[in-house]
Amino acid sequence: MKKLNYFRSFFLAATLAVTSLGFTSCDDKDNIEPELPAEVRGPFDQKGVFILNEGNYTHTNSSVSFMSDSTGHAVANHIFSKANADRPLGDVLTDLDLVEDRAYLTVNNSNKIEVVNAYTFKTEAVLENLKQPRYFTALDADKAYVTEWITYGAPGQVSVIDLKTMKITKSIPVGIQPEELLLAGGKLYVANSGANTITVINTATDAVENTITVSDSPMNLALDRNNNLWVLSAGKIVYTSDWSAIDYTLTTAGALSKVTPATQNVETYTFDSNRTIPTNLVINGSGDKLYFIYDGKTFVQDINASGLSSTVFINSGFHGLGVDPETGNIYAGDHNNWTGDGTVRVYSPDGQQVSNFKVGIGPRGFVFN
Amino acid sequence: MAQQDTTQHQLRTVEVFGKPAEVYATGSRVVQLDSAFLSTYSSGSLAEALQARTPIYFKSYGVSGSSSVAFRGTNASQTAVLWNGLHIASPTLGQSDFSVLPLSGIGEVAVQHGAAAASYGSGAIGGAVLLNSPKYKTEGIGGDVKLETGSFDRYFGSGNLGYGSKKFSYALSAYGHLAENTFKYKDLSRFGTPEVQQEHAQVQQHGLTQDLNWHISPATELSLHGWYTFSDRELQPAMGAVNTNARQLDESLRLMAGLQHQSQLGQTDVKLAYFNDFLHYTDNSNDSEADVDTYQLQAEQTYTYGTRWSLRGGVNLQHFVARNDGYAREQEESRASLFALFRYDPVQPLQLTLNLRQALVENYNPPLTPALGFNWKFLNSNQHQVSLKGNASGSYRVPTLNDRFWAGAGNPDLKPEQGWNYELGLRHVLVQGNAFLLETEATGYYMLIDDWIQWTPNYTGLWRPTNLQKVESKGIELSTTATATLGEVKLSSTAGYTYTSSVQAAVYEGSGSDKGRQLMYVPRHKAILATEAKYKSWSLLGNLNYTGLRYTSNSETSHLDDFILLNLALSRRLQLGPNTLLLTLRSDNLTNAAYQTMAYRAMPPRGYTFSLRFILP
Repeated sequence: MKKLNYFRSFFLAATLAVTSLGFTSCDDKDNIEPELPAEVRGPFDQKGVFILNEGNYTHTNSSVSFMSDSTGHAVANHIFSKANADRPLGDVLTDLDLVEDRAYLTVNNSNKIEVVNAYTFKTEAVLENLKQPRYFTALDADKAYVTEWITYGAPGQVSVIDLKTMKITKSIPVGIQPEELLLAGGKLYVANSGANTITVINTATDAVENTITVSDSPMNLALDRNNNLWVLSAGKIVYTSDWSAIDYTLTTAGALSKVTPATQNVETYTFDSNRTIPTNLVINGSGDKLYFIYDGKTFVQDINASGLSSTVFINSGFHGLGVDPETGNIYAGDHNNWTGDGTVRVYSPDGQQVSNFKVGIGPRGFVFN
Repeated sequence: MAQQDTTQHQLRTVEVFGKPAEVYATGSRVVQLDSAFLSTYSSGSLAEALQARTPIYFKSYGVSGSSSVAFRGTNASQTAVLWNGLHIASPTLGQSDFSVLPLSGIGEVAVQHGAAAASYGSGAIGGAVLLNSPKYKTEGIGGDVKLETGSFDRYFGSGNLGYGSKKFSYALSAYGHLAENTFKYKDLSRFGTPEVQQEHAQVQQHGLTQDLNWHISPATELSLHGWYTFSDRELQPAMGAVNTNARQLDESLRLMAGLQHQSQLGQTDVKLAYFNDFLHYTDNSNDSEADVDTYQLQAEQTYTYGTRWSLRGGVNLQHFVARNDGYAREQEESRASLFALFRYDPVQPLQLTLNLRQALVENYNPPLTPALGFNWKFLNSNQHQVSLKGNASGSYRVPTLNDRFWAGAGNPDLKPEQGWNYELGLRHVLVQGNAFLLETEATGYYMLIDDWIQWTPNYTGLWRPTNLQKVESKGIELSTTATATLGEVKLSSTAGYTYTSSVQAAVYEGSGSDKGRQLMYVPRHKAILATEAKYKSWSLLGNLNYTGLRYTSNSETSHLDDFILLNLALSRRLQLGPNTLLLTLRSDNLTNAAYQTMAYRAMPPRGYTFSLRFILP
């Protein structure tokens, strides 16, 4: 029974698993003083990609891998544990964000954010006692936001973190199960995955300004080159009254929505079936191509298309998806049945697999350095 | 550990065809747990006892969580657990949680190594654990009371009362156990690895057994057994994982009636049983119950011709009625199996067995399961006996009720698991009068398990059971037991070592990139050294256990370090008139090793236990 609840929870965790990219700030390089010190500040002071390995729920085996862009494409696994005297990172890593010379690791089922040196991955601070934190995003070097579920099924919150003191200065009530958040034009958009809304917070006042209604269970957010906000909704799963089966007469299909922030106009493309859930919306570096997974396949969609794409990019689904903003290469995380290390498969922009390498358990997200 | 060998040794010399099922298990390895150990550690669970005394590895979700078995490199569902010859594993999960099976009230614990599905049915792939009710042998009234207290706020009490006469015996046994498990450990997951006190790991258990044997006539015996266990546990969270206030209540009632009758046609055995297993799991966001009624009937006829031939044929019927929050409605399943066990001793030093079982299960069609074994004592001198033994046996496991009925996760193509086990062993017994006995055994085995069932997500992310892989397991098991009497000192010592290699040979879904690597939580090396020394009224029981490195995933890239555990128990027996008082002081994990059997689940450091046992004659 315990095992079954584990399955149920795991199913939930797996369903909610989304890539963490697209919105993470990768522009920290630009903020560094022009006179860069010539010396290398640590093994991760180089171009490459961080891979977020979620790990098995309740097994405290999340990890971070790094693949270098330099010749040889060396892969280092368990970089957090190795830098911190074998201390495990925690249980269910959901997000990694680079802000200046630090990386913020959101560890969902450990209720914490580990703050590490971005070049060495040595811990500098830990923000503990969060309430089921999911995703993190920094406004600048002083202020960041984190979504927190608090309790499954109840309204969640967005907490404002003072990055200088690593203290929470404010918690803003939002909708149920807030997932990804995205900063654009002085606003913070929060996907309330347990509802059908996007909460809009003014980052100057940290007050809720508006709520936009979208399709059921918005999970992922992406901003395109025209500053339109793309929302991937998973659809609402409704169980029969005794919770023993999914009631497909009431379960809603997933949808991809385009929100125009200025007018708050929502254009929605609904998927054809309510029996399979779309996941993993990510966008490329130039902001004109969207990628997502549906019915065991990876699709690519042009931002100007007038309907849902039927272009199968890769004929399989993945646990995690990411796009290298420079090369346009697609990184896909294969969970390997969750019993061993996952594999990352790299595809060229035309869909050809160019390489693969082994990482930790359950690769779910990619952060390009 | 090799106590059973002595029993078998005596069996062979005393009566050729005894009652135990091992008669039909020639060529395989059956080991009985030492009775002195069982009575000293009677407050513990079966998981603790087998972890300490056998090569079987147990993965415990902390001190209060469930314990699942890995035997000869197989998984928890692939070890059968039988009580008085009938399966007791939870039909919903298809496995037993050994941490809620108490030693109190159990008479004998034997371990059958390797596949034995022809004898024991579904699930006996890696081995079988055989539990038997105690036999009350004394005439008149007897009994004992045991009180125990230990470190980390642990309390235990048990009482036994029995009455025996020539025709009739009855025994009642009850126990209660409360453990707060308030030990301190180093939280490896937190910054600075602070020492913290374990939270949320309280265990509360109680239970009752009743055993009645009645010789209605010289040829007919009736037996009734009842076993009730209750366990309410706070499930210890992993270091680094949030405490979700997970709690589990397990309640099992097991009732059985047996009738044994001797006639010209041999021995007739009929067993009728009713089991109810209730499980209630809760945490901050889950609340689920599973409640299963199991009805079992086993009838067998054993016919022995002279001293050379013996044949046992029988039928086993099981019917399950399951209510589970994960199922769409109440579900039922019936299973039947027919078996024939045959033993032939063509010449005195050679014993052969052939066993066959055909299981019939709705929706699944397990194949005919055979087992062929031999035991050849090719040297039998005054002092030395050397035997060569071996067997080839098939095994199977029928998918569990959860595999079949879990709402939304059904897989109509699911097949039963199928295994093959081959082993060869050498056994040496050295006897020097009454003062010294040395028994040594070496076994090598090779095992293939195909269509191994595992829950994995399908291409859309839906978790469901699937025939995921083929596993190849091979290994060596060595053990030697010396029993010596030196003046007033009685010494008995067992050393055992096992090597286990268990790898994926084929993977039917996913990348299969871990093929050829050791399966997670299967130690390659495990060794034990158990010693009992008796001098006058004193006795010392020592147990040293080495468990090798275990990988924590199938990729061999993360592991738990090896560890050594030392347990010691010192007892003194005081005679108070006709009664006996037994005082025991014991220490578990004497060297204060920090270890885990499941990653990041803290286990207790050094602890002490003091117990008083008052025995009526």
